[in-house]
Amino acid sequence: MNKSIFLRELRGNAIALLAWTAIITFLTTATMSLYSIFLENNVKIMAMISILPEGALQFKGVSNVNDLFSVLGFYSANNVIYMLVLGSIYSIVLSSNILLKEEYGRTAEYLLSWPVTRGQVFFSKLAVVIINILVINLVITVAGYISLETCKKEDYNVDAFLIISLFTLLLHFFFAALGLFMSVLVKKPRPITTLSIALVMVLYFIYTISNITPDLSWAGYVSPYKFIDLDVVNPAYRIDPVNILYFTVFPFLLIFSSLRIYLRKDIYL
Amino acid sequence: MSTPAIQISDLTRSYGRDRGIEKINLQVEEGEIFGFIGPNGAGKSTTIRVLLNLLFPTSGSAQIMGLDIVKDSKKIRSRTGYIPSEANPYPDMAAREFLSYSASFYGVPQAEKKITELMDVFDVEPGRKISNLSSGNRKKLSIIQSFLHSPGLLIVDEPTTGLDPLMQSRFFDLLRSENLRGMTVFFSSHTLSDVQMLCRRVAIIKEGSIINVEAIEALRKKQLKRIRIEFRDRVPDSLAGLQGMEKGVTVSGKAMEFIYAGDMSSLIAALSGKDIADMTVEEPSLEEIFMHYYN
Repeated sequence: MNKSIFLRELRGNAIALLAWTAIITFLTTATMSLYSIFLENNVKIMAMISILPEGALQFKGVSNVNDLFSVLGFYSANNVIYMLVLGSIYSIVLSSNILLKEEYGRTAEYLLSWPVTRGQVFFSKLAVVIINILVINLVITVAGYISLETCKKEDYNVDAFLIISLFTLLLHFFFAALGLFMSVLVKKPRPITTLSIALVMVLYFIYTISNITPDLSWAGYVSPYKFIDLDVVNPAYRIDPVNILYFTVFPFLLIFSSLRIYLRKDIYL
Repeated sequence: MSTPAIQISDLTRSYGRDRGIEKINLQVEEGEIFGFIGPNGAGKSTTIRVLLNLLFPTSGSAQIMGLDIVKDSKKIRSRTGYIPSEANPYPDMAAREFLSYSASFYGVPQAEKKITELMDVFDVEPGRKISNLSSGNRKKLSIIQSFLHSPGLLIVDEPTTGLDPLMQSRFFDLLRSENLRGMTVFFSSHTLSDVQMLCRRVAIIKEGSIINVEAIEALRKKQLKRIRIEFRDRVPDSLAGLQGMEKGVTVSGKAMEFIYAGDMSSLIAALSGKDIADMTVEEPSLEEIFMHYYN
C-alpha cells in the first residue's frame, strides 16, 4: 500500500463516486415513491400485467405477480436494474481504468520510475476500488431501507432486504475484479470502458434470456446474475452458500491472477 | 575500484518480430556523464525502459549501482531520477501538485522549498493545470521531478526536446553542477551537439545493438577526417573509389569533399602528381562521425 497513490485515487474518483451514488440513490428512491400509487391502482395494474407474457415478469426476477404488491417485492423488481446493472457498470468502469489509465495516459512512465513496487501500486488502487464500492453500496442500502420503511404498508422481511443488499455488494466486487483482470491483459494501452460496459450488459442479457427461455436456462450460469436470488418475497429466502462461494472464489481468483500478471507485465507506452 | 553506476551484460529485449535490443553490453562509471546516441527506433528508449523495469529483459542482466534491475527495482528507483522523452505528467494536476506528488514517493526533506527553488530556475507557474501547459513547460516539470530527491543516477531520454535555448542552458548548468556533486548521468539523445557538449564517453546504438563505445575525444580523433581538395583542372577520375573514402563524396566543378577513414599515406600517394590548388584536412563533426558508424 502506498499512501500517496491511495489518497490521490480517492480524491480523483470522489466526483464520479458522488455522481453515481446520487444517480442510483435518486432512481431507487424515486421509484419507491411510486409504490403507493402502484397499490392504489392495483386493479388496473393487474389487468395490465395479465396481458404481459410470463417472461416479462421473470425478466425482473418476479416469480409471482402478487409479489409486486409487497413493498420488498416492488423494491426488488423495480430497482434491480439500477442497483445490479448500473452499480456493476460503475464498478467495472472504475476498476478497469484504475491501473490502465496510467498506461494509456503515459503517466506510468513517472509512477513506475518512482520508488514504489507494482504490488504497492496494485493494492493502493484496489483499496480505492473496494472503498468506493463499499461507500456506494452503503448509501444505496441505507437509502433503500429508508424508502422501504417510508413506503411500507405492512411489515416486510428485513433479513431478505439485507441479503439482497449483500449480494448486490458481492456482484459489484465481482465486476470490479473482472474489470481489473481485463485491464491487466491489455497489451496496447487504450481505454476499455466500452468493452467493460458491454460485458455487463451482455452478461445481464444472457441471464434474462436464460430466465425466460427454459431451453437456455443452462446458459445463465455463464452470468454472475444467475447467482443472485431475486425472489425476496419467498418466505424461504435465505443465503445460498453456493452463491456465496461463487462470489468469494471467482473475485479472489480474478484479483490474484491480475496481481500476478501485473507484477510481470511489460508496460508499453 | 568503485561499483559501476550501470553495468549491462548481454541485455536483450525482443518484441516478437519487431526489433528491440540485442545483447547489449555497457558500463557506465560512477560520476560520469555518459552519452547514448542513435537515431529514432535504434533501441535507446527500450534500453532505458528495461533499466527502469517498465519492460522485462528477454535475456541478459543489468545492475544499477550494483543492484539488479528486476529484483531490486524499487531500491534502484529510490536513487535514480528519470526524464522521459515525452513529457506527459498527470493532466488533472496543477504543476506544483504534480511535483509534490512526485516528492512524496521519495520522502524528500524540505520538498516544498526545493520545489519552489527549481520552479524558479525553470520559470514554471505553480498553479497552472498541467493540461493547459505547453509541451516545453511539461518537459520542465519532468526535469524538476527528476532532480527533487538529488538522485545518484539520472537517466534522461531526449531531454531537450521542446525546451527553448535558455531553458536548455539552465538544464545543462543544473546537470553539470549536480554531476560535480557526484551524480552520474545516462544521457540518451539523437541531438549529437548536446551529447558532444556534455559527455565524456558515448555509446552508439544501431538497430538494437551497440556498435561502438568511445570517449568523445577519441571518436573525434579517430582517423576520420573531412578532406576538401581543390584542383587546378577537373577532379581526376583516378580518385573515384579510393579505399577509405566514405560515402557521400561531393564533387563540384574542380573541388571534391569527403570523409576519409583510410591510411593517410595512401591518400597522399594517390594525390601525388595531381595538380592541387588547395587542400584542407579537418576534424569531422560528431554528426559525420555518427553517420560513418551508422552507414
